[in-house]
Amino acid sequence: MTTAPIDLRAEMRRAAQALHEPARPGGSMTSDLSIDEELILHSIGWEPVELVAGVSLFSVPMGVWNWGQGEISSASTAYAQAFEKASQRLHRQCARAGGHGVVGVHIDRVVGRHHIDISLLGTAVRPVGAAPVDNARVFVSDLSARDFTLLETAGWRALGLAVGASFVYAPRRSIGTTLQQKSQNVELTNFTEAMYSARESAMERMQASAIRIGGSGVVEVKVTEGPMDFAGHAVGFAAWGTVVTLAGDVHRTLSPTMVVPLDDPTVAFDVGSLRGG
Amino acid sequence: MSDDPQELPEATAHRLEELEHGLFTSDLSVNEFLLIKEVGFHPLGFVMGSSIYHTGIQTRRWGQSQELTKLTEAMYNARELAMSRMEEEAAELGADGVVGVRLDVNYYEWGKDAAEFIAVGTAVKAESGVSHRNALGKPFTSDLSGQDFWTLMQTGYIPQGLVMGTCVYHIAHRGLGQTLGSAGQNVELPNFTQALYEARELAMTRMQDEAGRLDASGIVGVRLEEKSHQWGSHTIEFLSLGTAVMKTAGEVTLPTPTTIISLDN
Amino acid sequence: MPDAPADLPEAADRRLGGGPFTSGLSVPDFAACLQMGLEPVGYVQGFCVMQWGWYGMNSPYRQALGPYGGGSSGYLENYQCPHGMVSAEHRAWGQNYEQTWIEQAWGQGFADASHRMIEEATAAGAHGIVGVVDSAERLADLGVLEFHLRGTAVRVLDGAPPPGGRPWTTYLAGQRLAKLIEAGYVPVSVAAAVSSVRVWAYCITEYQLGGSAGTWGGGPGVSEVTQVASARMAARQIAREQVRSQLDGDALHGAQMIVSEDEVGEGDQEIQCLLRGNRVRRFKDFDPVPVPRPTVRLG
Repeated sequence: MTTAPIDLRAEMRRAAQALHEPARPGGSMTSDLSIDEELILHSIGWEPVELVAGVSLFSVPMGVWNWGQGEISSASTAYAQAFEKASQRLHRQCARAGGHGVVGVHIDRVVGRHHIDISLLGTAVRPVGAAPVDNARVFVSDLSARDFTLLETAGWRALGLAVGASFVYAPRRSIGTTLQQKSQNVELTNFTEAMYSARESAMERMQASAIRIGGSGVVEVKVTEGPMDFAGHAVGFAAWGTVVTLAGDVHRTLSPTMVVPLDDPTVAFDVGSLRGG
Repeated sequence: MSDDPQELPEATAHRLEELEHGLFTSDLSVNEFLLIKEVGFHPLGFVMGSSIYHTGIQTRRWGQSQELTKLTEAMYNARELAMSRMEEEAAELGADGVVGVRLDVNYYEWGKDAAEFIAVGTAVKAESGVSHRNALGKPFTSDLSGQDFWTLMQTGYIPQGLVMGTCVYHIAHRGLGQTLGSAGQNVELPNFTQALYEARELAMTRMQDEAGRLDASGIVGVRLEEKSHQWGSHTIEFLSLGTAVMKTAGEVTLPTPTTIISLDN
Repeated sequence: MPDAPADLPEAADRRLGGGPFTSGLSVPDFAACLQMGLEPVGYVQGFCVMQWGWYGMNSPYRQALGPYGGGSSGYLENYQCPHGMVSAEHRAWGQNYEQTWIEQAWGQGFADASHRMIEEATAAGAHGIVGVVDSAERLADLGVLEFHLRGTAVRVLDGAPPPGGRPWTTYLAGQRLAKLIEAGYVPVSVAAAVSSVRVWAYCITEYQLGGSAGTWGGGPGVSEVTQVASARMAARQIAREQVRSQLDGDALHGAQMIVSEDEVGEGDQEIQCLLRGNRVRRFKDFDPVPVPRPTVRLG
């Protein structure tokens, strides 16, 4: 690993010259990572292999969004199964390409009136030159390459994506009627219970899925919630995150340095070298 | 604050049980996760509390600018309910505190005169086993990010609790009408100024009172938010939030920060 | 490479003949170019308009008015109705098929526009084109698809001209290009391809997407819409294979995939997957940066 500053112009000339030479063998790969992300991966000895995808969609029975009571279980099931299926396909593509896992997965979720769609896209990565592994050992994560690297450095391994979702109806009696019977400054317990419960459900399912994957924790949990565009009285909650486990016995401390940046908020022209100087 | 036992939904019990058996969940970013580990804390689990509360008022053209005390109480109670449920979940997990607390308000089309107040955060516990709960023996709460929590711990202070003060103020219509007579000139609108000044002060004072009750040395990260919720522009809630902190025993030497010039933005 | 002649407009010749250069680069990117020893030569562009008719009778492309519209080559999957009785409206057969003619037409439009942009750069004596932007705009009223590629032609100071005098191209510019070079990659060309898959729904798919699964034939209420899932997977796979075939052993860096779906009637869809990226080649061994040092910023 050199630490001398690089002469960028000389490198550019060298690159231009290299186009006249035959290509080196084994240079083929496809990736949606930025060059920064690729370099960060390389700093821990990992490389991108191939851009991989996994998609699925599950139908939801007719009339399921009409006003009812409690949980809309078929929607919750459809969501979970669509995610599971899409994830399986992503795993398979990764394993087939020789990757050990997929990082930076973009997750696109669409909840429609008749079907729930999940699309996953990411770059399969592996330790440089490593042999392919069995499908069952492949991991999938929406952690960025940078966060993946940080966790690895601290001794944590990514195992997979944990997901949980729940869909509910707002309680049947409209808030308007309820309010007429109550004075101001009061909690609406039925409604509170319904939403709180549904949120907890989604979180609990995510945890259950993490336990199935076998990790000791879930990091970077994201929660989304909101009413359906096409049915305002139906509310959906989803929680997901990356399941991790300690690779060794203990967490490795990173001992970060406190810094005071002397930058002014203007764009710097100086490209500089990645190695300083 | 209400003393009623806060009943948590059934689904919560099962979820918290899983967390007590060793699984942790955290909505902290990877950066924050690593930083809280640096100061000897470990995440236990994502905790939350919520409350759907009546927030409607009958809008009247009051002649004077004034605080709408019933609404102030409502806003305060709603958030308190949400926060205390979240704290209860954290206490159930045996946590020392909750970091990265976020307070959100949801409005639903099927609930025009009500709003849902939500508090979420990540419960944490000191790995040393030494209790870091606050002066009231409850898990501390803080809306500090993982980075700010790390930095705070370096200074020898520890969070006690998220403190808040709120004030719902109505800006008089008539008052405005009078002052608009002088529209077009660059003058201060004294009524307006007075009203907003008073409202903000009330909110801040109440926040400081809460910190006092926690025996805190001071408050960091104070910010003032203004929301009209669904009341129209003449009625505004002023919400003052901050994290009350207390000095821990012992001398702390702050590491000297390095100065850098970054090459990337 | 297509055999399209270098038919540049006369105006282009005049513009590129001499005088001050124009460039599509932002100021930071421009400065970064100079740092790398890349001298901007001029703004270059290429256009190509392809006929892009709908499934009308006047389309010069293969007409696809029903199932079995797929050609003998390309992705094809048949779906057969499992139900016993069949009424006139019952969709007893369905098919997913690759619309190879659309993919080829897109490929040709892109290649022609790219070729013309490269011709302009060659005429200006450039070694490469940086900061390429591509677009394919549908002018629906006119039934055409207009391809437009543009970028900033550059010359490597004291550098070797490219093989055959044909400039290399890349979507990257500025800092990102500098880091690419420093990391040991040299840009070869922009690479892009589109896949087009048509879903001609059979009865099961129609019921699933219409929300009536479970009311006919006793199917489960929640089930995978396998026909559409298959088509979506195929669309992505085909796009990747097509781009891979352009790489010729090189790598694809900084790829971007965009998938769009159009409903063409109840249950019928057209899925289009665009994949674009930079074809790059390694010219020196990877010398990884040291593990970045974690810092916490104050202020």
